[in-house]
Amino acid sequence: MSIKVKLHPILQKLAGGQEVVEVTGHTTGECLENLESRFPVIKQMIRDNRGQLRRYCEILVNSESTYPKELTTPVKDGDQIDIVIFVTGG
Amino acid sequence: MLTKNDLTRYERQILYADFGEEGQKRLKQSHVVVAGLGGLGCSASLYLTCTGVGHVTLIDCDRVELSNLNRQVLHYEEDIGEGKPISAARKLAKLNSSIEVTPVFRKITERNAREIIKGANLVIDGMDNFKTRFILNKACVAEGIPFIHGGVHGLFGEVTTILPGRTPCLACIFPEVPQRKVSLPVFGVTPALIAILQVTEAIKLLAGFGSLLTGKMLYFSGDTMDFTFRNLVKNQNCKVCGTKDV
Ligand SMILES: [Zn+2]
Repeated sequence: MSIKVKLHPILQKLAGGQEVVEVTGHTTGECLENLESRFPVIKQMIRDNRGQLRRYCEILVNSESTYPKELTTPVKDGDQIDIVIFVTGG
Repeated sequence: MLTKNDLTRYERQILYADFGEEGQKRLKQSHVVVAGLGGLGCSASLYLTCTGVGHVTLIDCDRVELSNLNRQVLHYEEDIGEGKPISAARKLAKLNSSIEVTPVFRKITERNAREIIKGANLVIDGMDNFKTRFILNKACVAEGIPFIHGGVHGLFGEVTTILPGRTPCLACIFPEVPQRKVSLPVFGVTPALIAILQVTEAIKLLAGFGSLLTGKMLYFSGDTMDFTFRNLVKNQNCKVCGTKDV
């Protein structure tokens, strides 16, 4: 079971410059946990203190929005998860 | 109608074959709203002004602070304490007295957004927070006005052009408005670069040539100098634009 996570450019730096990281899991939430266990700094960026996904992060599966099931959407072998971050500065 | 002065002032851009006098006339007849006069809005309005957009409206409710001056290039030390649109309009009027510059020292809210942008040919996103961006996104979709989004963080920036009814909107990607207003890291060069890309989109859109950043987000990562894209997909359930056809 292999799922690809495509990282937003801001997160790539936190994953040693990788654009795509292969993870395992049956849901988007499990896949993100797998990613975060390898790159704890990514967790700080995308989760708040209570472990909720920050609202400036969106999770897509095969380019489709998972809202409002960002952490509970089922995934299967070969799927791609995108983590998108919305930047706020101007 | 272009004047003799216009033909001289804009000579070098009129030479651009896809643009020409016809493109210049279109810019002259256009009204662009620059929402936010921070790092993005200062550079965007500077280039909209020198390129000859006939009417530029500048809207912001903040006053100039010393900590703005590393990136907000239309505000000088002598302007600290001044309303940002007033400060910016004063410089722009000196740069190009042949166009109309309207400063609006006012907060953009859910209630007044549509009225502020009504009749404009496009809106440039120069905001520094999520909330007002989403208010503008919604107002632009409702009014059918193109919205050129830009955002920055540190040396990272992004830009996309939203054409209501034809492309995904900001709410397609971010269905819930993030609540966060903190001081983010930013160098002056990042909003300058992103703003110049926004104005490049504006010129093409107003004059009617070239292709646009529609349905895709351009990302700029300054620390590695990478430009990358992400395709944006319309969310059929989008609360803002979901009822319109793609
Ligand atoms: Zn939408």
